[in-house]
Amino acid sequence: MVRAASTTNLRRAGRNAIVTRWVTWLVVLAAATLLMFLVRGMLDKAHVTLVFLLVVLGASAAGGRALGLTVAALAFLCFDFFFLLPYYTLTISNPLDWLVLFAFLITSAVAAQLLHRANATAEAATQRAQEVDRLAALGAETLNAADADDALRAIADVIRTSVGVDECDIYHRLPDGRAAPIARASAGEGTIALELSDIRGGRGSREDRIAQPGSLVDWIVERGTSAVELEDGTVRVARDLPVSTDASRHEPQTDIGTALAMVTRHDNTSASARVRDALGLSEELPTRHLHPAICALALPLQVRDHTVGVLRIAKRGGLELAPEQVRLLGALSYYAALGVERARLVAAAERAEAERRLEKLRSALLTAVSHDLRTPLTTIKGIASEIVRGGEPQRAVVIETEADRLDALVGDLLDLSRIQAGAVLPALSLNTIDDLIGAALRRAAGALGDRRVDIDAPAGELLAGHFDFTQTLRILVNLLDNASKYSPSGSPVEVHVRKQEDRLRIDVMDRGPGVPVSERERIFEPFYRPPDVPPDIRGTGLGLSIARGLAEAQGGSLQFSPRAGGGSVFTLELRGMDASAPDSPKVQGVEPI
Amino acid sequence: VKNNTLTILVIDDEPQIRRLVGNAVRSAAVLPPSDTEPSRGETVVRVVEAATGKEGIDLAAGEGPALIILDLGLPDMEGLDVCREIRAWCAAPIIVLSARHLDTEKAALLDAGADDYITKPFSTVEFMARVRTQLRRARSAPRSAAVISFGNFVVDQQRRRIERDGEPIRLTPTEWGLLRAFITHPRQTLTHRQIFQAVWGNAAGDAQQYLRVYVGHLRRKIESDPMRPRFIHTEPGVGYRFEPEGETT
Repeated sequence: MVRAASTTNLRRAGRNAIVTRWVTWLVVLAAATLLMFLVRGMLDKAHVTLVFLLVVLGASAAGGRALGLTVAALAFLCFDFFFLLPYYTLTISNPLDWLVLFAFLITSAVAAQLLHRANATAEAATQRAQEVDRLAALGAETLNAADADDALRAIADVIRTSVGVDECDIYHRLPDGRAAPIARASAGEGTIALELSDIRGGRGSREDRIAQPGSLVDWIVERGTSAVELEDGTVRVARDLPVSTDASRHEPQTDIGTALAMVTRHDNTSASARVRDALGLSEELPTRHLHPAICALALPLQVRDHTVGVLRIAKRGGLELAPEQVRLLGALSYYAALGVERARLVAAAERAEAERRLEKLRSALLTAVSHDLRTPLTTIKGIASEIVRGGEPQRAVVIETEADRLDALVGDLLDLSRIQAGAVLPALSLNTIDDLIGAALRRAAGALGDRRVDIDAPAGELLAGHFDFTQTLRILVNLLDNASKYSPSGSPVEVHVRKQEDRLRIDVMDRGPGVPVSERERIFEPFYRPPDVPPDIRGTGLGLSIARGLAEAQGGSLQFSPRAGGGSVFTLELRGMDASAPDSPKVQGVEPI
Repeated sequence: VKNNTLTILVIDDEPQIRRLVGNAVRSAAVLPPSDTEPSRGETVVRVVEAATGKEGIDLAAGEGPALIILDLGLPDMEGLDVCREIRAWCAAPIIVLSARHLDTEKAALLDAGADDYITKPFSTVEFMARVRTQLRRARSAPRSAAVISFGNFVVDQQRRRIERDGEPIRLTPTEWGLLRAFITHPRQTLTHRQIFQAVWGNAAGDAQQYLRVYVGHLRRKIESDPMRPRFIHTEPGVGYRFEPEGETT
């Protein structure tokens, strides 16, 4: 038997091999006949019979039953024609020669038949072994792959190559019930996608139309039925498919079975006829070229009767599967279902782990916060009750400063929690450095006191950038505040602004104590305070972590570097932009001079 | 000596804040509102309180207040809606109190007709300064004079000339439009949208996103240090404010 190869190329190659084999064995037969003919006088009938029998057995083994029988028939004729008296006729003078001749023919036929059966059994065994190997390899890959998504990609690839299709996509079901692609294996570029115009069941079930194209996988996830896509852009879902009697005899009566039956090639029916049958459309679409071929098959992936995803395979120029490929697909799709389920469980575990970490951070924050909030509250409460009991009213000034500290802390905490929750959405727009630095100097005026701030920016050039103004202002105010706090009195804070290609770089520099190497990343952590900070310098400990969070939220960065000659440099990098405005539209009531 | 009665409406649902604000407003409003203004004699300040938005709107209509203090966190109505409703028929300045710090919200409030905003918690000193500014602005006549001077600048609106110490400065039409919008709304925070409307009318276009760049250019022609401006101040995330007296803080 010649096993149907799955692609046209393979099929063509197979056909060439068969022709070669036939020609070879016919030549061998001719050569054997010629050789024996040359030495005919020395040969007995038994010799000739044995040689021909050897040729027939060889041909049967190499080329199968058909070749074996053909060679046997030809050998029979040659035997009669060249080696039995009278020569060169098909008549036979000695009746006993008939016995020899027919014994030869029967022996050859039986041998050819037996060899064929042995070969078929061996081939089936090899295929099974290959299937088992594939499944074993897939199982190992599924279990071994470190990443659940990698495993799914491996499964998709195995399905694509072993079923012999161009595309294999695996979708998983999202918590909201929609389907999203998770793994894909594809033979070439692009997607075999249909302009899905009409998704419907088989005959007459028009209520299942889906208005939106491309939502087929969502639909399958929702209903748990399988579907086939036809080349004309329509889809048939399995639930309503009437199955041809031929297919239903072999396949289980399930949705998946129904869909698989549609793409299965049987030896006795042509694919197009069977599809016509299956769809019950033979009267509408009588000829093959009018009938759209199936180009994709989508199956629900189910684990414990629960649809976890969708497997879709597609092939250019029509999808057609041999029965053994269908069997393999069934087994592989179960692996895919397990893979999807595993990916889901892994994601759930990761989420739980992230939540646990967040919870840990939150409790650390809570401890720090409750301390930082209670300290000023204690002071306020104490002084207030002192005043109530006739204490010095002037002491209320302390209440005011402590209240300011509390206000700053609450503001910082709100900002930090917003940043950590990812709730800070930067409103990026075109802004000028003049505006930014001017507003920052104004806002930090209280913290700066009478400290000088030297600004070094390119003269005569209006620098602009693409950033969120208020968030960047917050960063800069925090940096100025910090620089002023740690600088020795009398030393100015310096701000350098530079444009570097498409980036804006703002350096805020002080002559403070700097930061030891081991602490250089820790200073950006919440509630970090330098180890030997003087008690009069008390911040919330959140300023730098907020500043960095805000910088990163808008695609910028904030880095620390030591300053030559002592002190710190905090470098804020932002997206720069060309500040040359286009010609302004006409201004109301003003004509150009 | 003639007595003036100044009615101030405080709309806030918290009695403690109403009391605090009422006291601050009283002490701020009795001070002479402006040096340039002749003394009007003894000013009697009357504070009217409302605890809900509805009550506030009714009192704004019935009492004819000279100034309205509006808290955004009212139980019955959105503060923004109260502001918009009052502004529809009442010209009195509105100062908004808000616990929220979002700049977009501030801009929306100013666009809805509020004149100033102050975030909680605020210092009484700062609050009183804002109240005085609004009262002064409401009393002073709108600046419609053809020639206006600020700092060492003289602006002739009719001839469209601006001089610094007698030296003319060249401005582009856009910069002129901006300057005119600023000098006709002194001491008032103008939102980006309001400036855009004043300069370009309703012409939609790219100009809005370049507004800050145009202001930057104007500032570089007027301010001696554009990063420490005297006259054109940036209100972060909201807009700009023009200070003709050249405030430096």
